[in-house]
Amino acid sequence: MSIEVQTPRDGVPEILGRLAWTLIWGFARVFSIVALLAAWEILARSHTFTPFQLPALSAVLERIWSDAESGDLAINTALTLYRAMAGFLISAVGGVVVGMAMSRNAAANWFFDPIVSVGFPMPKIAFLPVVILWLGVYDTAKITIIVVDAIFPVIAATVIAIQGVERELIWSARNMGANNRQLLHQVILPAALPQIMTGLQVALPLSLIVAVVAEMLMGGYGLGGAMMQASRFANSTSVFAGIVEIAVIGYVLIKAMAIIRRRLLIWHPEANAPATA
Amino acid sequence: MQEPAQIVVDNISHLYRPPRGREVLALDAVSLEVRQSEFIALLGPSGCGKSTLLYLIGGFLPVEKGEIRVDGKAVAGPGPDRGIVFQHFALFPWKTVRGNVLYGLERQGMAKAEREKRAMDYIELVGLHGFEDSYPSQLSGGMKQRAAIARTLAFDPKILLMDEPFGALDAQTRGLMQMELLRIWQRTPKTVIFVTHDVQEAVLLSDRVAVMSARPGRIKTIVDTKFDKNDPDIFKNKTFVEKVDEIWNLVKDEAIKAQGKRSA
Repeated sequence: MSIEVQTPRDGVPEILGRLAWTLIWGFARVFSIVALLAAWEILARSHTFTPFQLPALSAVLERIWSDAESGDLAINTALTLYRAMAGFLISAVGGVVVGMAMSRNAAANWFFDPIVSVGFPMPKIAFLPVVILWLGVYDTAKITIIVVDAIFPVIAATVIAIQGVERELIWSARNMGANNRQLLHQVILPAALPQIMTGLQVALPLSLIVAVVAEMLMGGYGLGGAMMQASRFANSTSVFAGIVEIAVIGYVLIKAMAIIRRRLLIWHPEANAPATA
Repeated sequence: MQEPAQIVVDNISHLYRPPRGREVLALDAVSLEVRQSEFIALLGPSGCGKSTLLYLIGGFLPVEKGEIRVDGKAVAGPGPDRGIVFQHFALFPWKTVRGNVLYGLERQGMAKAEREKRAMDYIELVGLHGFEDSYPSQLSGGMKQRAAIARTLAFDPKILLMDEPFGALDAQTRGLMQMELLRIWQRTPKTVIFVTHDVQEAVLLSDRVAVMSARPGRIKTIVDTKFDKNDPDIFKNKTFVEKVDEIWNLVKDEAIKAQGKRSA
């Protein structure tokens, strides 16, 4: 059975009209950002502030361009992304494994549950001095502090997701002859995936935030380190350039994650709903 | 009885332990025998333990007191000889209709070409041809239940356990699905245990109706409802109306009792 959809043959005016709507709608969605950027440029040019307090957006974009040409931008972005993604991936795998163990094994739950309860709401960045004492200030230390922060939302989401799997789904799989391993891989994990993905969507920006903060506090290359360096040299334009770069990277990461989610959850009713993220 | 019963429920009692609060005696010394290829309905008010009895026969809940034997062997867990269909379908939402039907066949280790053909045969049998690549979220309630029935029939269980399978459907769809089930049952005769609280549905579908009492669940009476059901005007058929009336009177007191307990 198929539903025939009547599509009226389009002339040029209809196509142009639709294009105009797409453009207007596309612009409307980013209006607040554009307004904010325009206000920044106007305010900076109005001499209300000195260029030291607030460099113009155009000057900042020029700086980003020259950093890109010199290769600094690529190095700093690559390092920050490497640390953030390494921390995120370790948190993702580790968090799902610990969460699964807690849901399936009473001893694991007994051991980890109090740690998660205390650790989740606590500001883990407080461990940064300890991490520096133990591991120094290089990549291992930075990735470790990211994992310490980002693993908690993944564990919590996994535990809640697995607890929420309907018992009828598990019974159906058992009925059809699934053994314990098949039950876990073929039924429980896919059924829990939407909520686990939500946990990962919290962990991802958290990884980027902690990566930048760790770089700021520990120094070295990377976007955070470069911004602190620029700040020490009173290089206002480079500091603001760093903010714009981090904002763009964060936005791209979140978008990429939303696309992956829609791909993975193509079966989910939400896949047919309009995207919100 | 000439032939020995296929399913023997022998003096089963079961305690329901809610996560909080006192434990409740859900089933109290229930005994029941079901013959091969028989269609029996378990009928009773909500909370009478009829679903619990079905889950025990399915091996999904542990038997604590008494014994359940299927073909002479004590039930110790779920098995593909007893296929279950749930009220809320329990389809795997991340699999298409075809993927759902294939799952049991894969677990049985059937060869690829054979299971593909078999899956399509059963999808056709339940009238879902053309929807094999749809995900459950794209189907209506009635279509989801057809898919769930196809999934269970495909791995060819000897016994079909149905837990209020049409309870979540609207009245018209339910009527159609009842007819459809009768048609399928006549083509693939299996032993069916059908849990419902709908008296007409029980009389329409089954050979016998086991009327259960309000909590603790006991089997109050078993009414023979085997008569010619090919009457196109079955709902006005004299035997049908009499049977419905008889069973309704039996079940009415229990329903009132169950209501009283809930509001108390």
